[in-house]
Amino acid sequence: MLSQTYSLNEIEQVLVDLIADKIDIDRSSIHSESNLKELGLDSLDTFDLIFSAEDYFKIKVPSDQIKIETLHDVSILIHNLITAQKQ
Amino acid sequence: MISLSQPNRVVMTGLSVLSPLGNNLAELTKHVFGGVSGIKRLDVPFVDQLDCKIGAQANFNPEDHFSKHTYSMLDRTSQMALYTSIEAIKHAELVIDVALKPRMGIYLGTGMGGAHSIEEGYVRLYRDGASRLKPFTVLMSMNNAAASAIALEHQITGPNQTFSTACSSSTVAIGEAARLIRHGYADVMLAGGAEALLTYGTIKAWEALRTLAEEDADDLAASCKPFSANRTGLVLGEGAAMLVLESYEHAKARGAVIYGEIAGYGTTNDSSHITQPSVNGQAATMQAALNDAQLLPSDVQYINAHGTGTQLNDITETNAIKKVFGEHAYQLSVSSTKSIHGHLMGAAGALEAIITALSVYTNKMPPTINLAQRDPECDLDYVPNVFKTLPKLDYAMSNSFAFGGTGAALILKKVN
Repeated sequence: MLSQTYSLNEIEQVLVDLIADKIDIDRSSIHSESNLKELGLDSLDTFDLIFSAEDYFKIKVPSDQIKIETLHDVSILIHNLITAQKQ
Repeated sequence: MISLSQPNRVVMTGLSVLSPLGNNLAELTKHVFGGVSGIKRLDVPFVDQLDCKIGAQANFNPEDHFSKHTYSMLDRTSQMALYTSIEAIKHAELVIDVALKPRMGIYLGTGMGGAHSIEEGYVRLYRDGASRLKPFTVLMSMNNAAASAIALEHQITGPNQTFSTACSSSTVAIGEAARLIRHGYADVMLAGGAEALLTYGTIKAWEALRTLAEEDADDLAASCKPFSANRTGLVLGEGAAMLVLESYEHAKARGAVIYGEIAGYGTTNDSSHITQPSVNGQAATMQAALNDAQLLPSDVQYINAHGTGTQLNDITETNAIKKVFGEHAYQLSVSSTKSIHGHLMGAAGALEAIITALSVYTNKMPPTINLAQRDPECDLDYVPNVFKTLPKLDYAMSNSFAFGGTGAALILKKVN
């Protein structure tokens, strides 16, 4: 089954929800250019976020692609994987 | 300072529990000395699939104590251990300053570590057909997760070890921690145990061993009946218990309240059978503790027994007590508080050590409840059903024996 299509903005909103669920942070303080570390996510938290995103978007993020700093980086990564999966 | 020639006295200055009898000392005291059982029908979604539907659960919701970020990375065992570490330090009124951090350590006991996390992983893989697990699975499951979480929380950098000897795990942890202080390798130790194994798979595994108590049809809370002729087995429980141990000098220097002294510790292995207890093995454990404390058997006034409520343990322990204490076995009092709080496995020894500490502190000996039918082979004073008070309770022993054969006993002493 092909993955559903998501816009970058939609992906970002899902990620904001996932982050807010993990670290008890006010959603309004998370922005596209927010640095994940500065939000309080260490490397393990980031793996956990990717794990949750994989579940949500039904994708698999290769380990060598987890080089991300900002929320926007994650959104792009996921968007690209969904697009690649549909092709 | 490390001192091999002049051993330090080791005292208890902070006690905290998270147990089926409540999550603070006042609740524990009320229930354990009042003989009010914490055993009931298990509040778990799979209860109808169990043959044994009773247990001793702790009333603990991690959301009430920790941020989601903290508790979602910890197994229930670690959550409970962390909670009791914080409360024990508060109870001890201990300030962990920069100088103390490297002189303070954590010794913890747990039988099955992150049982919930392991089972959750298996359910995901084998039942739900997932192909991968949560990134925190290893970190939540490992047996030393709880002790590590405590070190992180308090920034304690001294020795940090986890002991896993089944039901004697936390007695070993406390005894070994006391030895560290005694010989100068640490000034203060957090020592205790945590266990949260009331999962479907673990309870089923215990059912298969046929050591679990049958439900008392008239009163579920009365299902665990140590030393009573109609005893049918143990009741699984969960919880955590933590002690702050420190050298007497350290405690006095900061004006701490002292709840008692760890006067002796002994540990041995039966080396005879994986599950069957041995009179000689249990006697050797108790004798080792007496030797360590340099006491005569007649000095001990009270024993908090391992007292699981299985047919075999209670006779074996009774005979082992007679072997060590001789005629004095009939003068001292023995009780099994597992009749009240169930069997907390890796946390059992720590909870019972705290109860024993309260005994030497208050001169009160908790009862063995549900002791209704005399067993001719169990003929000691088990403090049946109602607590007893002594004019002065100077020395008490707390026993833990375990599958795998590792027994451990502590001797606690009143400090005036």
